[in-house]
Amino acid sequence: MCDHNKNIYKPYLATIDAIVDETPDVRTLRLVFQDEVVRDSFAFRAGQFAEYSAFGFGESTFCIASAPTRNGYIECCFRSVGRVTEALRRLEVGETVGVRGPYGNSFPVEQFFGKNLVFVAGGIALPPLRTLIWQCLDWRDKFGDITIVYGARTESDLVYKRELAEWQERGDVRLIKTVDPGGNGPTWDGQVGFVPTVLEHAAPSAANTIALVCGPPVMIKFTLPVLEKLGFTDEQIYTTLENRMKCGLGKCGRCNVGNVYVCKDGPVFTAAQVKAMPQEF
Amino acid sequence: MTSNHQNTETPLIDPACYAAATAAIRTEAVRLLVAGEVAAVVGYRAGRRTGSVMPDVATTVEAAGQLLFSPACQNNLALFLSKAKREVLPHGRVAIVVKGCDLRALAGLIGESQLRRDEVHVIGVACPGVFGANADLSKPLSAEGLARKCRACKVHLPEGVDLVAGTLPPLPDLPDLEAEEIARLEAMTPQERWAFWTEQFSRCIRCLACRQICPFCFCTQCLCDRNRPQAVDTSPRPAGNTAWHMVRAMHLAGRCSGCAECERVCPMDIPLNLLNRKMAQELYELYGFEASMQPQEQTPLTSYRDNDDQSFIK
Amino acid sequence: MTLTLDNLHRLIDALLAKKVRVVGPKRTGAITVYAPLAKGTELDLDQLPRRSAKEVFFPPCETILSFEKRDGKTTVSDPDLDLLPETVLIGVRPCDAAAPGILDAVFSWDYDDPFYLERRKRTTIIGIACTASDDACFCTAVGLAPDARQGSDLFLVPLQGGGFAVESLDAKGSALKERHAALFSAGSNAQPLPLAVPAVDPLDLAKVKAWLDENFEHPLWQEIADRCAGCGACAFLCPACHCFDIVDEGGEGSGCRRKHWDACGFGKFTMHASAHNPRDVQAQRYRNRIMHKFKYYADKFGQTLCTGCGRCIRWCPVGIDIKAVLDEINGK
Repeated sequence: MCDHNKNIYKPYLATIDAIVDETPDVRTLRLVFQDEVVRDSFAFRAGQFAEYSAFGFGESTFCIASAPTRNGYIECCFRSVGRVTEALRRLEVGETVGVRGPYGNSFPVEQFFGKNLVFVAGGIALPPLRTLIWQCLDWRDKFGDITIVYGARTESDLVYKRELAEWQERGDVRLIKTVDPGGNGPTWDGQVGFVPTVLEHAAPSAANTIALVCGPPVMIKFTLPVLEKLGFTDEQIYTTLENRMKCGLGKCGRCNVGNVYVCKDGPVFTAAQVKAMPQEF
Repeated sequence: MTSNHQNTETPLIDPACYAAATAAIRTEAVRLLVAGEVAAVVGYRAGRRTGSVMPDVATTVEAAGQLLFSPACQNNLALFLSKAKREVLPHGRVAIVVKGCDLRALAGLIGESQLRRDEVHVIGVACPGVFGANADLSKPLSAEGLARKCRACKVHLPEGVDLVAGTLPPLPDLPDLEAEEIARLEAMTPQERWAFWTEQFSRCIRCLACRQICPFCFCTQCLCDRNRPQAVDTSPRPAGNTAWHMVRAMHLAGRCSGCAECERVCPMDIPLNLLNRKMAQELYELYGFEASMQPQEQTPLTSYRDNDDQSFIK
Repeated sequence: MTLTLDNLHRLIDALLAKKVRVVGPKRTGAITVYAPLAKGTELDLDQLPRRSAKEVFFPPCETILSFEKRDGKTTVSDPDLDLLPETVLIGVRPCDAAAPGILDAVFSWDYDDPFYLERRKRTTIIGIACTASDDACFCTAVGLAPDARQGSDLFLVPLQGGGFAVESLDAKGSALKERHAALFSAGSNAQPLPLAVPAVDPLDLAKVKAWLDENFEHPLWQEIADRCAGCGACAFLCPACHCFDIVDEGGEGSGCRRKHWDACGFGKFTMHASAHNPRDVQAQRYRNRIMHKFKYYADKFGQTLCTGCGRCIRWCPVGIDIKAVLDEINGK
């Protein structure tokens, strides 16, 4: 990791290499660092995040959604909900985005070697897991069974649609995709049902398995009891938390949940750690 | 009545009147709670530091018996019945202790449909005056310590309230320093006046105490907190600071009750009430409007008349 | 070693002559604030400055980046920190002098904030003991004292008959003293003026923290917050509060990125773009203030984020008295 410069608030400059509209309001940007040295040496771990600048408007916090095993570019995936994300959305291929990072902790991938993995994601919360999914698929023989349960409100709300098809085609991954009741179109070939319900029916074994869960609060709320019922302990379940951030470096005092700073002690936490936090997130 | 108050040992105003108001407030507050007429009494109670006072939402008879009125009762308690302090009204029917200036704010909130008159039991205080900004609350009230607004007060005796607590003592006759300062500013050239205000605003740190303490700044999302569009830069720099105070003065014109709390709470001693009082003067001259102790539904900037003075449109 | 008041003024003038920036309590209009002095006699040692000394290291607003977009290409530049002046911060009472040393921990937590740390490196602090206090002061209750040397490089103790006893506490202090040795005199027999010791009940900070560890949910938070108006006066005047916002000002072309003071008491401080707000109610926000100062900062860095200066008590628009709150917790 090269030493950028002394100004910890100064982003790397990256050029938008490709744009994918995942859904009507969710976009992926593929970014290539402008500085050659940075391009070659930028490294991160799955679960880490960065601060992305739309210069003139501000910075926004998203996970680094591409896999750490892929070099030469990074990707972020975001929904347009405010001033900065709308400004990012107005940028075109060839324009400049600032990137500060990688920040935060990460999934302890090495501790997952030899284990089965169950990924459970909802809606726009797939990106923080997608980075790890691709890393695991790139290192496929290091892990046991890999199951992915992913759902969204409707078909059009699913992100990474092309990759879902790729994962479906592979013989070494079990993908269960679902939409909420009423969210299926005429050609839908996946399941229909809320993610926690679909997970319960899929009933993955908890033996020697790690569960990685990422989704809107209501999904998490109903997924954790399902995992508990299936025999997962709180130490076997990982999730990522989001909170309003600005500096991403533990200094601006904004993202703490009790004495836990999401930007420094997180964003990756076990269910045990989340349950120990005061409920202010 | 003219008094010469060179000797700061002699109180400016007879302290017995504050004691009498205290007694009346306590009696009424206890009576209301015991009778179940109200669920809470919003008043003042003593703080830890000598002479200090703080707002209190008294829900027990014991707390009601601690309520008081003293020259340190600076807060405009109408703030606690606005949308900004939405935790208070759910207690149920409330009583509130108000000075004349605070009562104008209460009336303003009622006029703006933020509150209904029948939701509150109003205990008006016959108020001879309170401390101003930077006053030493542990000392007796003196001419120097008296709030500037009190020198110009026309609402010492509340009207339209459910009870008047206390009676007015002889009041000191002191020059209206605020009016003098406004006249001094009015006599300046626009450039001089601009230099005066930009110098004042250069000290602003955007703590927003002025906004948070104002009963009329109850917008759920203040214009200046929005970022689409970003109407005013948030950083404490001269241009943004000036814009912030100008926007606020305009949003309060025709509403401000003249309680001058904004000026009292400003940690940087910016004389904010001069702006509000000047706006009030303009509205009186143009439209014959003044803030009142009685609710008014039609105010100049929320209503329109065919014969409105438009001479300022050039 | 002693220094007369006249020589203290001459010291300031000598520093100014050497192009050193001298910042001290200065009366501007009705209030005293820390400000650059133009001459020694501008120093006002009689008042506790309205704002704390933290702004010498952590200004209310500062530019951290500038950017320009031209012909589709964006360039970014950052301020040249070598332009930061060598500074002597003079006339700092212990409640202000101790704070930068406490803030060092967060500003160098894994990432070194150069804006803060460069200023710290280039500043020499001349502290002074307190001979006047009021009933908002409570430095002694948080482990400090009117003559605590913590954070000062040179320390002045006012003497009977005028002048100050001078102590050099570290290399920075000695270096400053050496460069202007002629202004200092040998020790005298004069006695120090009586220190102003705040007459407050002591606090057992460990006990307070233990209560905070267990009482995230407690009716106390709602009782205080019933009063809290949600402004930033306490946080901005506090020597130890360090929350900030980062904003871009400008437009789609050229502009600046700045960081400026922010406060956890503000309603929108933690609000997400989705409008979800983890601290939606003032009770949660006020709790965070107390927790951060007396628990979280201790959990993370082993220090209390409060020096007992009393500014938040003097300036709270609604009379919230943090010492009274702490006393109540201490008594539980």
